[in-house]
Amino acid sequence: MVKEYRLTLITVVFLVVIGGLGMSLRCYFFKQSRLPPGQSIWRLTYSVDFQVREGEKCNIALPDNTPQNRIFRESFSRLGIWMDIIRNKRTGAREAVIVPLADHTQGQFRAQFDIHVKSNITSSGSPFLKDLSPAGRAHYLRTERHVQTNDPYILNILSRLTHKNISKSQLLENIFNYCAENVIRNDSLPSSDALNTLREGTGTSLGQVRAMLALCRTAKIPARLVTGFIIENQRDAKPQFWIEVLLKKKWFPCDPVNGYFGNLPAHFLPLRCENIELIKVSPQITCQSRFAIYRLIPSPLMFHAHQNKLSNIVDLTRLSPGMQEIVMLLLLIPIGALITTVFRNIIGLPSFGTFTPTLIALSFIKADWRTGCVLIVLVISVGILTRFILDKLKLLLVARLSIILTLVISCMILAVSILDHFSLTPSASAVLLPTVILTFVIERFFITWEEDSLLQTMKMAAGTLIIAVVCFGILGWDWLGRLILTFPELQLWNIALLLLLGRYTGYRLSELWRFRDLLNVTTGGKTS
Amino acid sequence: MKTCKYRFWAWPWELRRLAILGINARNLDYLFPLNPRSSYHYVDDKITTKQICQEQGIPVPELYAVIDRFGDLRKLPKILSPKKEFVVKPARGAGGRGVWIISNQDNNFFYTPQDQRLTFEEMRYHISTILSGLYSLEGQLDRVIIEQRIVPHPVFAPLLVSGTPDIRIILYRHRPVMAMVRLPTRASKGRANLHQGAVASGINLQTGITCGGVYKNKVTDIHPDTGVSLSGITIPNWDRVLEIAIQFGRVVDLQYLGIDIILDTNHGPVILEANARPGLAIQIANGCGLIKQIGNN
Repeated sequence: MVKEYRLTLITVVFLVVIGGLGMSLRCYFFKQSRLPPGQSIWRLTYSVDFQVREGEKCNIALPDNTPQNRIFRESFSRLGIWMDIIRNKRTGAREAVIVPLADHTQGQFRAQFDIHVKSNITSSGSPFLKDLSPAGRAHYLRTERHVQTNDPYILNILSRLTHKNISKSQLLENIFNYCAENVIRNDSLPSSDALNTLREGTGTSLGQVRAMLALCRTAKIPARLVTGFIIENQRDAKPQFWIEVLLKKKWFPCDPVNGYFGNLPAHFLPLRCENIELIKVSPQITCQSRFAIYRLIPSPLMFHAHQNKLSNIVDLTRLSPGMQEIVMLLLLIPIGALITTVFRNIIGLPSFGTFTPTLIALSFIKADWRTGCVLIVLVISVGILTRFILDKLKLLLVARLSIILTLVISCMILAVSILDHFSLTPSASAVLLPTVILTFVIERFFITWEEDSLLQTMKMAAGTLIIAVVCFGILGWDWLGRLILTFPELQLWNIALLLLLGRYTGYRLSELWRFRDLLNVTTGGKTS
Repeated sequence: MKTCKYRFWAWPWELRRLAILGINARNLDYLFPLNPRSSYHYVDDKITTKQICQEQGIPVPELYAVIDRFGDLRKLPKILSPKKEFVVKPARGAGGRGVWIISNQDNNFFYTPQDQRLTFEEMRYHISTILSGLYSLEGQLDRVIIEQRIVPHPVFAPLLVSGTPDIRIILYRHRPVMAMVRLPTRASKGRANLHQGAVASGINLQTGITCGGVYKNKVTDIHPDTGVSLSGITIPNWDRVLEIAIQFGRVVDLQYLGIDIILDTNHGPVILEANARPGLAIQIANGCGLIKQIGNN
């Protein structure tokens, strides 16, 4: 026994040291690894408030990864609205589709994007799709309300910029130079129309961009408008506009306002294509929006700067935001197991299954508690009801379990569909799998009920619930997930704690209650 | 009688002073070092236990049949029809789960000692669930034992409402260290398992006389259903009870073992089953800690 105890202690010390060393090394490298020259970290925040009306949709442009800008973390919060993130079918741009929830008149959308800006990468490229079909080309050459093509005035300007045997790229350069030099920018003017801007020789920045767009399209050079932000410290960031022109099957960005031709610096963040509004709302919806951009000081808990190094395999923060969420959930399961072990081995609380409380807690963390409650109550009631009915049919175990599982899943999907119909479920998908796993607990629940007693079943159910609530409270802390994602070595400390718990020979708290009556006898307090 | 404040809580040092064995210490200090995993099957599988006993000449309830395949369910009428009373149980069950005691059979109906009527179909279904592994320790496929129903010794008659009482003996390094007699109650539905609501009384190892008892983790001296005192009952054939327990303990390589023995009116003490993870309520029944008893032996 002493030998095993010593071996356990040595392993614990080893794991703690290795874990500590790993974390110290990571911290050291975080401190050492400053961002390479030209790279920086920025945060873009959205704050949108709506006066909503049922049945009206709204669409918000979201930033996306480009060769120069990488979104390494994003978070959303919303109130009174349903949200889904989609990609625009035509342009491939990332968008949030917002639908007001029933009975809500106010809507709130908040978002935060942490962006790694890599100015040392020179090629900007386009994050948007291109359509090279004849219809697509025609689309990029079309006349719009504010982008008049083939107007005599515009044709006249173009004739001055072109000559015989001029190449498309030369013509484009002439157009760019014309718009950059002969159009004076004046953002106080009301007009942002291509024709007016060209006629008057002055216009807003949008007018200047539209003027170049109109000239390109008239010259049969496919072009489109891009809306985005310039990344710099701004409390109230205003959208910026530039255009992309299609030459030799490649998109080249041109910004006549700031004078960039063929390439843009990294602090240009494209958001929307072929549209000037970052928030597209129906006329019935009034909306107030504010965007802010500020620089962040890179910290080890936030972002690790090294890129494309083999050593980065151990850096989980490099994963995409979506993947980070999944990895974080997986990394939290062992912490849930630790909590369950404490409850079972130190406190002595019985529960159905070792991992059930953790799974219940995780399903609640990933969904709002109402959806979680509805689904868990549904799984348990449908499961027990089915089990009672199937008991009459006298079926074999595996077949019976499979039928319960099938019915539970069918009812859950129906419930999710109903909740979705009434716009009540913002994130039901996250709870589905953990709750399905509960089906297997139903059989044990039923057997305990039948073989032991309802009281014992309720005790075990209460134990499961208490552990699940504690797991929910602890695992729900966002910083814990982030900490364990940044320092996965913490799992070694977790194992060390589990090893110590595994060698705990003291009394369980429940035993202090269980054996209390022996003291009543020895102190003479009990009749005998 | 002197009364003093009722305790709702015992401090760990108080339990340590009474030498009470906790479940963590039982697992780590006794089960792991004393009971090799490879020997668990001697006691986890009741058919193997029975075979060992028979080889050693230790009396056991007579085995009527073993059903180990679903195909054998066809033979069920042939197996059961000649038997008026019998017991159906899973070979790898625990805690009395899945055990059906049949005290009478009439026109394809089976009757339990509590006069519950069961159809042949219900019996067949129950056996199939046992085969599926519903009651087995690891949930694996199981075998079904159909064996003789023991007629309890009349010494327990005043205490009995239903079911069969049994004697649990804890062996430490093949020596008995503690014993109790477990008596079914209405709450335990005829089962002799303490966590299911049975009542137990400690037995003095030297004299074989019962003293004190436990019911639902509380010290008691009377049977909750009959109101009869649990103390002062002399267990008949006590020396033989200890003898067969020690004999069985020596054969299996398990040094911390619980053995369940039933006193049959006709055959005397018979080994019903053994348990490699015996429970700890026996300490309340005897009013003293196992660690102390182990130290004394």
